[in-house]
Amino acid sequence: MLKVENLSISFQTDEGMITPVQNVSFAVQAGRTLGIVGESGSGKSVSTKALMKLLPGNSRVSDEARMTYTDKAGREVRIDQLRPKGRDIRRLRGGEIGMIFQEPMASFSPVYTIGNQMIEAIRLHQKVTKKEARAQAIAMLDKVGISNPVGRVDQYPHEMSGGMRQRAMIALALAARPALLIADEPTTALDVTIQAQVLELMADLQRDLGMGMIFITHDLGVIAQVAQDVAVMYLGTIVESGPTADVIRNPRHPYTQGLLKAIPSLDALHDRLSPVPGDIPSPNERPTGCPFHTRCSQRLQGLCDQQLPPTVPLGPNRSVACWLETPEHRTGAEVDAQQQIKQQEPAQ
Amino acid sequence: MLRFTLERLIGMVITMALVSVMVFLIMEIPPGDYADRYAFRKYSGTGVNVTEADIQAIRADLGLDKPMMLRYFDWIGGIVLRGDFGQAFAFETSVVKVIGDKGWLTLGILFATLLVTYLVSIPVGIFAAVRRASAMDYGLTIFSYLGLALPNFLLALVLLYFANRWFGADIGGLFSDQYADAPWSLAKVWDMIKHLWLPAVVLAWSAVAYQIQTVRATMSDELNKLSVTVARARGVPETKLLIKYPARLAINPIVSTIGFDVNRIFSELPIVAVVLGLTELGELLLRAYLDLDMYVAGAILLLLTFTIVFMNFVSDLLLAWLDPRIKLGA
Repeated sequence: MLKVENLSISFQTDEGMITPVQNVSFAVQAGRTLGIVGESGSGKSVSTKALMKLLPGNSRVSDEARMTYTDKAGREVRIDQLRPKGRDIRRLRGGEIGMIFQEPMASFSPVYTIGNQMIEAIRLHQKVTKKEARAQAIAMLDKVGISNPVGRVDQYPHEMSGGMRQRAMIALALAARPALLIADEPTTALDVTIQAQVLELMADLQRDLGMGMIFITHDLGVIAQVAQDVAVMYLGTIVESGPTADVIRNPRHPYTQGLLKAIPSLDALHDRLSPVPGDIPSPNERPTGCPFHTRCSQRLQGLCDQQLPPTVPLGPNRSVACWLETPEHRTGAEVDAQQQIKQQEPAQ
Repeated sequence: MLRFTLERLIGMVITMALVSVMVFLIMEIPPGDYADRYAFRKYSGTGVNVTEADIQAIRADLGLDKPMMLRYFDWIGGIVLRGDFGQAFAFETSVVKVIGDKGWLTLGILFATLLVTYLVSIPVGIFAAVRRASAMDYGLTIFSYLGLALPNFLLALVLLYFANRWFGADIGGLFSDQYADAPWSLAKVWDMIKHLWLPAVVLAWSAVAYQIQTVRATMSDELNKLSVTVARARGVPETKLLIKYPARLAINPIVSTIGFDVNRIFSELPIVAVVLGLTELGELLLRAYLDLDMYVAGAILLLLTFTIVFMNFVSDLLLAWLDPRIKLGA
């Protein structure tokens, strides 16, 4: 239902031009969830803001970018060709593509009731009376598991608890029944119990409403729970993508491998976690060649720091952007890996 | 909202009561009273020997011999119960007659000034914030500095000169000659409005300059709020979005300082009135003090302070309406 190809986004800043997203392509299918995972600054939020044309004025989307969305009526819309303040993009916003953000408190205007903001969303996209819209809003609040929705609909955001606001925010994004939901770190600010509840809720809602979903997070563990497909982003490029189970079981990019090693596991409680070494470089000091080579333990000197790796297809919907996976280096890399294991053996 | 309004209303009444006591005390502070002044005026140079008993008689005649407490309650009781502000001794008539039109004209200038201030500064400030760093924005900033730096009596003179050249001679004062002493009529009100804009612009000038920057700053903050992006992400059209979400909160500092603006306008009005030849209360207040005509002075002080207290009340209600968190005591 959504296809993004060759998306690059650059910003004009005081320190010069930075390009936080480079040549990114991904697709979302109806009823499925695409997880986008990456550290802060990897360009995951910026990419999805481009889909809604919500980027600030100093930004530029590359001319080669193609963003094609198939709407509820089955028509194809080229998002990249829409004017950012036009009627066509407004029709998509909220009505076709819903968006939820990290901070529920800040997502609501504090001076209007939850109901006011939901009814506004509904009436912008459906020709219904205020009364009908209100009934829909109450039904949606009920659907996201808010008790006493009839009373809650007239409450202000500050009258709700944190977990309830989170649910209300999801209800707000879903009020006008979008076909695609973009969730930008929706559970990051929550404690783990509430986080689990919200993830479950979102999975249920997606199933009930048959929505497509883009789920942005820095937490691979969360991705494993909600997403069927995953794209791993590093410094504005997608380094690895594929079905979630496959990527987690068999990570091919050194960065994905590093991320997985950094997840605490019950089997290895005594070991120290091994973080990905180094820090993410600042966007105006982008490394040449592979963006990850500065932190990669398997980098090939003279190649990775010089040339951008190609995207190597590994199967249907599965690909990795790494020199080690190209046919000419594959064998060598495996030999290197075996040597590493051998070197470690005497120490054990 | 009803409970909040009631609370603020009671607060306002208490404040006004305290203010009236203060005003009365201020009236009492200058040494001597109108009885002394009256005797001096009447008999000075006539060779008549005025005794303390004569002054005492005048004092009793004017009702100034009673104890202070009693006089306060007489005074405030008259105002509250009968709208009677007492005697204007020097004019030998009632205070209401002396102040009469002047009071209304002062209030007219006040509200015209407030209207000009807010009607200009709020939309322009919002515009400057939305078009931040544009040529328009920089132009407005320069205007703001100019507005803050120019003393407004100078501005009054300059505007008077140009208004005179462009619109004819009768721009000073609040009325054209043919209406000055005419009874009130629609034509006279229209004539007044035609004259009112000049003092309103002069008095509003610096406030406009200042408030544009206030609105611009808060609007810029509000525009960056996540809730604005979220509203945009649900498809709210841009103009409606700006008014409903960021602007409503951006005018908060303006609304909360209405009382200050009223105060400032009252302080600046007398000198502007002198330059523009307006009849208003400031000059009368000064004269009343020189004459020890205490009830005139008291009525003027009371009118000005009550207006400020009342406008603060209005400002409280508006704030609560703009931001419901206030009335909920959050």
